[in-house]
Amino acid sequence: MDNLNNRVTQFLYHEADLMDEHRFDEWLALWSEELLYWVPCNADDIDPRRQVSLMYDNRAALEDRLARLKSPAAHSQIPRSRLRRVLSNIVVSQNTGGEIEATSNFILAESRHHRQNLFAGKSIHTLLDSPEGLRMAQKKVLLIDNDDYINNLSFIV
Amino acid sequence: MDPITRQPTLFNPAELVTEDKVHSAIYTSDEIFELEMERIFHRTWMYLGHHSEVPDAGDYQVRQIGRQSVIMVRGEDGQVRALMNRCRHRGMAVCEAEGGNTKFFRCWYHGWVYGSDGELLDVPKENSYDESFNKADFGLTEAPWSTDYRGFHFVSLADPGIDFDDYLGSAKQYIDPFLDASPLGEIDVLAGVHRTKYYGNWKFVGMDGYHPHFTHKSVLDMWNREGGENIGSTHRGDPFADDSGNLTRDMGNGHVMLDFFPGRSEHYDTYLEGLKSKPGGNEYVSAMEAAHGKEEAKRQLIWAGDPHAGIYPNMQLINIQIRIIRPISANETEVLMFPSLLKGVPDEINATRLRHHESFYGPAGTGAPDDAELFERNQIGLKSAVNPWLFLGRGLTRQYRDDNGDLVGLVSDEVTQRGQLNAWVKLMTQSS
Repeated sequence: MDNLNNRVTQFLYHEADLMDEHRFDEWLALWSEELLYWVPCNADDIDPRRQVSLMYDNRAALEDRLARLKSPAAHSQIPRSRLRRVLSNIVVSQNTGGEIEATSNFILAESRHHRQNLFAGKSIHTLLDSPEGLRMAQKKVLLIDNDDYINNLSFIV
Repeated sequence: MDPITRQPTLFNPAELVTEDKVHSAIYTSDEIFELEMERIFHRTWMYLGHHSEVPDAGDYQVRQIGRQSVIMVRGEDGQVRALMNRCRHRGMAVCEAEGGNTKFFRCWYHGWVYGSDGELLDVPKENSYDESFNKADFGLTEAPWSTDYRGFHFVSLADPGIDFDDYLGSAKQYIDPFLDASPLGEIDVLAGVHRTKYYGNWKFVGMDGYHPHFTHKSVLDMWNREGGENIGSTHRGDPFADDSGNLTRDMGNGHVMLDFFPGRSEHYDTYLEGLKSKPGGNEYVSAMEAAHGKEEAKRQLIWAGDPHAGIYPNMQLINIQIRIIRPISANETEVLMFPSLLKGVPDEINATRLRHHESFYGPAGTGAPDDAELFERNQIGLKSAVNPWLFLGRGLTRQYRDDNGDLVGLVSDEVTQRGQLNAWVKLMTQSS
């Protein structure tokens, strides 16, 4: 378990760096083929069939999102947000089926257009242990202000 | 005098808008913003909310109308009322939550308690007042002008000088497709809300068919890329091309729309095929045909529930969302986007509609943040007052009146902006 803890922690730190540095292809490579990237809106526990999310991406939608972000006309990311996040409170558990769940808290500072914004939340990763290493099957991000006015969340959280 | 260089009188709004030009002061001046609050947001018909947001007795939502807090609440009698969120004693807000269900609104300052219909029910130590005190005189104040059309509730906080029906005019018929995409003709506005804000003037929001090729180039490229999912696209072909058949409309009183009906008609067969291939699609189309008949069902499916219309000044019906525009200052605006759910359709249809909405709209969408970004750049540009006039003459010489009396242009024409600004002048110069 200590070894798993360590592997998951290093994985999450690596993922955080890729997100902070907008390394979209490398970040996408951390996902399993089937995926769900979910940032709920208005509350943490909502029914995505009946309620709107900030992001609810399957692979196709996520690939679209990243393709757009690479466009020279993605105005809300020109210039790119400068990002740096700190992860903490990492808790790893593994169920009998081999699926790994990791919860972690983050504080994310964003600087853009001479404004500094602070985002904070909790991430819930569902990870698969594959021959190539850990892969994200699902990631749910609970922003503490998912019920508030947000100006620009066009980067990856 | 050359209209491009002359400086208008700041406090005569009529001087700030000409047939094809507008002075940047209307977007940047704090004084003009104050006047807009008084003469537009506090004195004309404003969208408050949809009755489906408060389905049960005691359900309420709190909204801002201009700077005033208003509670939309369903009483025990089933009636939806618009109550000013202000205790009749010392003026405290009696409702601190943004929405929920309650039997009472209690002012926690001195304990006055109101029912969900606004009636004053309890005053602690009531016998300390003299005999002339009558609780019946101290209920929560209702918005003085208050009505609804098919559940869309509108209020005016001072005499709007025009009946609601006359105010809507020919725009009323374009509200219908938003509801009639449901076989029952009903929606539920219970899917939550995207709350967004940008640092720019409220009048930038919406009904511009000229901007997508540039503002949303990244999204159009994304939709057209090889093997892309194209999830957000409800159009086929290029809906923003002037030869698409799509139109701009000015229905009067500032109500304007991008009319995508003509372009969608041409691509209907492809659209229908796509819709039927989606989960729940066949069932949805059958339900529409059973409810409306084949011809009318086709007409409604072409609309796709999307009037793409703005009801001036604070409401827009775009794709699946009801949008509320809430000005904070001349330089800051909040936009609330409420996705609607169609009643009487398979769950998968609503889920797909939500995914379409999310992919483009909201603060994490692929489209809306780019609008917000460009609105901010607009606000920066408009601060330069050396040559302060904006040119809104696109399509001025080719616009025409149709049989309904609407002023009509091609999809990229500035018919919509001119229509909104004409209403702006009318409201801003109307004496009280």
